[in-house]
Amino acid sequence: MATGSIRRGRFGALPWIGPAVVLILVMVVWPAIEMIRTSFHEIDQTGIAKGWNGITNYKNLIHNPDLPQTVVRTVIWVSVVVVVTVLVSLPVAQILHGKFPGRKAVRFAIIVPWAASVVMTAIIWRWMLDGFYGILNRILQDLGILKEPVDWLGNPNQAFIFLMVVAIFVSVPFTTYVILAGLTTIPDDILEASAIDGANGWKRYKEIIFPLLRPALLVSAVINLINVFNSFPIIWAMTGGGPGYSTDTTTTLAYKISFRDQDIGQSAAMATVNFIVILIFISIFLKVSKWRETSS
Amino acid sequence: MKKSMRRTAFAASLVLAATGVVGISLPIAHAADVSLTMVAADYPGDGKTQQAQWDAVSKAFAAANPGITMTVNVVSWDVIDDKVKTLIATGKTPDIVNKGDYSAPAAAGLLYKASEMVSASTLADIIPTFLNNSMYNGTAYAVPDLASARALFYNKAILKKAGVTKLPTTWKELLTVLSKIKAKNPGVYGYAVPMGPEEAQAEFSIWAGGNGGRLYDYTAKKWTVNSAANVEAMAFLKKMNDLKYIEPNPAKCDRTVCAQTLFAAGKAAFINGSVFLPGWLKDNGGAGIDLGSGSFVHNDGQEAVTLGVQDYFTAYKANGHQAEIQKFMDFLYKPANYAAFLKAAGGFIPATKSAGVEAAKDPALAPFIALLPHAIFYPGDIATWPAVKGALQQSVGLAVTGNPSKVLGDIQKKALAAK
Repeated sequence: MATGSIRRGRFGALPWIGPAVVLILVMVVWPAIEMIRTSFHEIDQTGIAKGWNGITNYKNLIHNPDLPQTVVRTVIWVSVVVVVTVLVSLPVAQILHGKFPGRKAVRFAIIVPWAASVVMTAIIWRWMLDGFYGILNRILQDLGILKEPVDWLGNPNQAFIFLMVVAIFVSVPFTTYVILAGLTTIPDDILEASAIDGANGWKRYKEIIFPLLRPALLVSAVINLINVFNSFPIIWAMTGGGPGYSTDTTTTLAYKISFRDQDIGQSAAMATVNFIVILIFISIFLKVSKWRETSS
Repeated sequence: MKKSMRRTAFAASLVLAATGVVGISLPIAHAADVSLTMVAADYPGDGKTQQAQWDAVSKAFAAANPGITMTVNVVSWDVIDDKVKTLIATGKTPDIVNKGDYSAPAAAGLLYKASEMVSASTLADIIPTFLNNSMYNGTAYAVPDLASARALFYNKAILKKAGVTKLPTTWKELLTVLSKIKAKNPGVYGYAVPMGPEEAQAEFSIWAGGNGGRLYDYTAKKWTVNSAANVEAMAFLKKMNDLKYIEPNPAKCDRTVCAQTLFAAGKAAFINGSVFLPGWLKDNGGAGIDLGSGSFVHNDGQEAVTLGVQDYFTAYKANGHQAEIQKFMDFLYKPANYAAFLKAAGGFIPATKSAGVEAAKDPALAPFIALLPHAIFYPGDIATWPAVKGALQQSVGLAVTGNPSKVLGDIQKKALAAK
């Protein structure tokens, strides 16, 4: 009897989650299986499958001359963007949490970079940074800071820094709002009690607010980790991973292996490796959110 | 009762979801009708997409051939290779493709022969040089649609201001001319060198060709990307870069948005230009440029070359529509329809003898047609050319600012490894 009702309970949810499950199976699970299958096949450059070839694609990937520097760059990309995003979002969320006239307008303005299409944002940044026509050069020259225009996206290191700036720019709104949500959950009585006990200003933030923000911080950091690692449009629209391969991450490299080097099999191997990294991030996320549930 | 309702709701939701996802791909064509599909690259034309012209041809063709419908999907040049490849890999192979290469699908046995694509009379009208560039292992697997040749364009006003009266013909003379231009025209780059991904392979081929260098050795049957002549040519470009005679960061400078735009703004003195450059300049703010053209420069002891580029129609066997494809291709190559295609594409060199006679009288085209006998072409008949082209587009520009021999050596490694 008891087991029967549990079964019915599970089954009862299916009409509602059914379409979503089907959608996930068709749009997410099946392509992922196809991708993994492709990574073990030989695909000729026209796109025709020539059959199973074991781990050859993975061997080719490991020997790909562009891979080592791309992996290093991807690690830098993900860690710098996520850390700086959180560091910027903390004070911004704190400001938005305070009461001041026009708070609604400011809160709304912060959402804009998030709401705008990432490709659009990236293209606008590309033109602002353009060496011949960019507004940044115009401003710096008018202020007398620069004598000659600089092609900001032409030098690999400079270009990579600007890519990270844009990635931070589009990641801050989401992170800010998650932290803001965390701030609103901190009960007033705790803050009042701490004030009575003499904790004020920085001390109160360090000892009371920040520790209580940890769950929100961890969640936003892990979601950012996934987003930033997967980020294709910013890099593609601004530098195309170039000059050469000098601003690629493993995500854009997977695309280039397929469509520049014409090697779909090796590209699928790269994408599968990326997929595994994402799975690791997701398992961290699940652990973190579970930890949050038990602690709160 | 409740349980059964839930079951019904569940089943209904499944069916809804399934039709929602699968329903789109259900074929709805009538059994007797044949639907041809074509993916075509978008030529510059008069600034408008060619979709309208293709729609008009498709409509006229369908009216003249009941039972066959034609759908043409016009795709921009920078994504057409990816698009076609994705269509093939996902089992949606188009019947006809109009783009810049053919060798990989020919080698894979996916294509009809040129003699199966068009009737004997249409094939006989194709200019032999172009048909020879459409071979794979001695058989033509593509029908050329049009061709272009490159010339060295220059801004007369800039040269005049620099006191240059004679066009340079050798690398040495070019350096002298560029130093004069730099001295007298602040803010102007002597030579626009578009080595960005859009068309780095063209700029590379022209400079290498002027030093006797080629991409592929047909006798040894081997890629020669890092031959001594090619490395020397890139070293020369590097020298021009170090002297600041060319625009900064050539590896990132694409043909259209960078090089041609600089030239249109009067900020570059020399540029490699195709037949459509004068028209493009008019539509993109360069109408006031006093334009001259001549031959490309070469190293001492070498000959001047131009780069000939031709594009192709290819027909895929996947859907078995050979008879219908031939009907359409013959229809397209009828003089009136072909002239409309060329016009919409934007003043290229025709690939048929019949249209070629008219084109030779056109003062804008005649100089290019005269250059064609000295043209070098891409090794488009080698199966691995698309991969080598991709590697060149991605990296060869770095040779101009970095180490030419290492950059070309890396591309050569990729070329040899390509299958």
